[in-house]
Amino acid sequence: MSGFHIVVLVKPVPDPGCYDRVEIDPATGALARQGMPSVLNPSDRHALEEALSLQERHGGRVTLVSMTPESSAETLREALAMGGDEAVILSDRAFAGSDSLATSRVLAAGIAKVAPFDLVLAGNESADGGTVHVPSQVGELLGVAHLANVVRLEVDADGSVRARTRIENGYVEMEGALPMVLGVRREINTPRYTSLMGVMASQGKPIRVLGAEEIGIDGSRVGMDGSNMRPGKLSRPEYCRKGERVKGDPEEAAARIVGILRAEGVLG
Amino acid sequence: MTGEGKAPVRRGAIWIVAEQAGGTLAPVSLEILGQALRMARAAGGCEVAAVLIGKDAGGLASVLAWLGADKVFLVDDPRLLPFQNDTHGAVLTRLIVREDPGVVLFGASACGEELAPTVAARLDTGLGAHCTNLDLSADGLLMMGVLGFGGRVHTEMFCPARRPQMASVKPGMFQPPPRADRKGIVVREDAAALLEGETIRLRAVKVVRKEPEGVPLEGADVVVAGGFGIGGKEPWALLDDLARELSGAVGCTRPALDEGWTSGDHAMIGTSGKTVRPKVYLGFGISGSPHHTVGIKDAGVIVSVNSDPRAPMFESSDYCVVSDFRKIVPALIREIRKVKGDSLREPSPA
Amino acid sequence: MAELKFTQQQEMLRKAVREFVEKEVKPVAARLDTESRFPMDIFLKMGKLGFAGVFVPQQYGGAGLGMTERAIILEELGRHAAGLAMALMTHHLGVDAILSYGTEEQKKKYLPDLAAGKKISGLAVTEPTGGSDVAGQLSTAVREDGRWVINGRKCFITNSSNAEVNVITARTGEDAKGRPAFSAFIVENSVEGFSPGREEDKVGLRGSSTGDLLMNGCNVGDASLLGGEGNGMKMALSLFTKIGRTGMAAIGLGILRACLEDGVKFAKDRVLYGKPLSKLQAIQFEIAQIRIDYEAARLLTYNAVGLKEGGAGADAEIAAAKYFATEGAVRAAKRTMDLMGGYGVINEYPVGRYMRDALTTISCGGTSHIMQIIVAGQTLN
Repeated sequence: MSGFHIVVLVKPVPDPGCYDRVEIDPATGALARQGMPSVLNPSDRHALEEALSLQERHGGRVTLVSMTPESSAETLREALAMGGDEAVILSDRAFAGSDSLATSRVLAAGIAKVAPFDLVLAGNESADGGTVHVPSQVGELLGVAHLANVVRLEVDADGSVRARTRIENGYVEMEGALPMVLGVRREINTPRYTSLMGVMASQGKPIRVLGAEEIGIDGSRVGMDGSNMRPGKLSRPEYCRKGERVKGDPEEAAARIVGILRAEGVLG
Repeated sequence: MTGEGKAPVRRGAIWIVAEQAGGTLAPVSLEILGQALRMARAAGGCEVAAVLIGKDAGGLASVLAWLGADKVFLVDDPRLLPFQNDTHGAVLTRLIVREDPGVVLFGASACGEELAPTVAARLDTGLGAHCTNLDLSADGLLMMGVLGFGGRVHTEMFCPARRPQMASVKPGMFQPPPRADRKGIVVREDAAALLEGETIRLRAVKVVRKEPEGVPLEGADVVVAGGFGIGGKEPWALLDDLARELSGAVGCTRPALDEGWTSGDHAMIGTSGKTVRPKVYLGFGISGSPHHTVGIKDAGVIVSVNSDPRAPMFESSDYCVVSDFRKIVPALIREIRKVKGDSLREPSPA
Repeated sequence: MAELKFTQQQEMLRKAVREFVEKEVKPVAARLDTESRFPMDIFLKMGKLGFAGVFVPQQYGGAGLGMTERAIILEELGRHAAGLAMALMTHHLGVDAILSYGTEEQKKKYLPDLAAGKKISGLAVTEPTGGSDVAGQLSTAVREDGRWVINGRKCFITNSSNAEVNVITARTGEDAKGRPAFSAFIVENSVEGFSPGREEDKVGLRGSSTGDLLMNGCNVGDASLLGGEGNGMKMALSLFTKIGRTGMAAIGLGILRACLEDGVKFAKDRVLYGKPLSKLQAIQFEIAQIRIDYEAARLLTYNAVGLKEGGAGADAEIAAAKYFATEGAVRAAKRTMDLMGGYGVINEYPVGRYMRDALTTISCGGTSHIMQIIVAGQTLN
């Protein structure tokens, strides 16, 4: 088969535009996420776009893999409308409460199920968790080279890889070879819009749902039981300050602010 | 949450993984060392060690020892610079297995964001990401505070059973150690032995660093920040002018960054950006979403200017000015110039 | 009797279109209006996504969807940039003229570029003699040496300055009863003697060009004759109903929704007498009226489109939808403008543009008076 098999890890997350609706249930102390619509994790669109660009260049297949409740299938279909050949949802009650390493175990097992693969792409971080762990940990579990913070990617037909990773105030040019797992940052590309043709094509693309047994993963290694991290108390951080109103016209307000700057010792 | 779990909790050493960056120690390395020393003291005393993996890093290792680390594990080898997650991952994993620390802290820098999860996977242990606060109990259980949902939810995380308990720490959250002339010991490790047998699949070919223009946000006494209310690249110039008058740094919120009004994401202040603690913070056209206010929570004095009297930013500010920044900033610049002019004319003390 | 419900594919389609419009069109909508500029770059992007050829079969490069999907696109575009929606709407008139009445050669020659948005089309019927009086056209196409020579002047033609592929009607003779007979021709703007004339400075729908077309001895071959000689009037009237009025109804619906959403947002945000405006009963009545008009317009529009797609004539239903959605948009714009008080008349807010766009839709695709005549005609027969 010419071209590569690229797996894109995607995750439906609560719409960041609706974060103001997140509540902590006073009775249970747990998170109440009612009524927050799901969207594809913004970073994942960039991972998918990168996969589709590589597919246009080299040919091959793109498979979306997601650990998410089956009810999120609609969001996966929206992703397929942007591109990709099929989606695999890893869903099982046993997965609930997984920390990032347990999640990575599930994803690695799911990827093994759609193997062989050449490249796994993921958005660098998820909007709700933001851990950046998944690319590194999935790479470790699959036993392949991995990088995170990728902002530019070149893959040759022979599988050699040149990736630019972002560091503080600069970047590093890395070299490697497929198979690899890469976490990409948003600045790597501009995701394409979904076309009408894509919407139509997505209707016929397969979305498979696999549970713990089907991917051959032990229940004790996933979910709450398989997680080394445990959540404790939730709270809403408050950053309240004295909120004193500065009255007057712009000149008076400016004079007041200058007074504050002098009092704090940052102005003559 | 107490120390319930599959294994008995005991208090081991606290390690910090220091980072060699551009010929010096990354600032976050000093911050986590400071916090490690504070936690060790508060928990009744325990060993604090630093791990420094790099090349020609002997001098930097001594600095860590001088700043308070009881012990510094130095792994020095040409193959260990630039950072790669496979070389550093192999070395650190083997050191941890050998020495069995209770806690390992990383700076959540670009390198830390790769190294920490790599090692956590190899050791099958827990890792708290981008922690904004840390606390160590007397019996050695680490509380890792993490923010989610754009800064709106704070969760305390624990790793009750597995060891070490690992955490990556957001830069800017903690203070470096105060100057202390403590002489810890530097232990030079056998790098070749620690790298033995590891398949290295990556190759770092080139490192490019470019300091951004302007005063850096970190360490600035004055920060001038703008948000979506600024409305465009042209009006943004007013903020640059103001910052220049005050020798301050310019910061922005995520929406302003996304609009492309600023020089780059090094200027973004917020949960997914920088944390700043200036003496004075002046915010203009910022609505005050938790994403941003988390980044300034430890600022000295917060002054906010917004034309919307109901902007949530005012609740997180010390001083609130309901006005158009286009009127306030020029007036401010005039006032500042007047003060600076006056101070130049004042006769110096005899 | 089932409720009016879109399919899952149509909902996904709407979401994808809305995302494009909010990211690419909404940020420039105000400028398109003040500059009265047709954005060719955005039209090309819409072409790539399939909007320009939404109902063109895939074999000719289109998306192969239907009129409901087209209405969804025009509604979503109309919500933020009714002028641009008008340009797309008019483009579809020319596209369907060729798709429905063209020979295989004509379809193969023109549809791929039109479906991709690389070339723009339009339908030119109206003349200074009156748009409502289509039989009064004076343009002629005379047979000369085995070819056609077209002379005349069209006015109030949308896409006048941008269309490369124009479908034009002209008088070619008389029918059996001695009444004028008209034929349709495909005239490319490269034809000698053809030129767009003066562009009008419109009150609304300003993201599309509207102006004259001048045919000064345009010499075209038989391959340009569209739909057979003498069928021009029938074709034009059919296209006005199937494509023109349904499109205007969808655009009117989009403007209505804009007024509703902006009105609701303002009512919730604006604080007066210590509480949001939305707590005042007078404001609640206004919002209710806008909402009711929106719901009715929505049902009329999509039902009419569905009826037509199902093969019914639906002349009255389509006329009713066009009438109600566009007049409803005018009412809604006035209501939203009024409840916004001083803010409603400041151009920093888009509601003034919604009002001007709504007013302009009244005379496009047949005036409200003509719509009522159509409805009455069918009702009283």
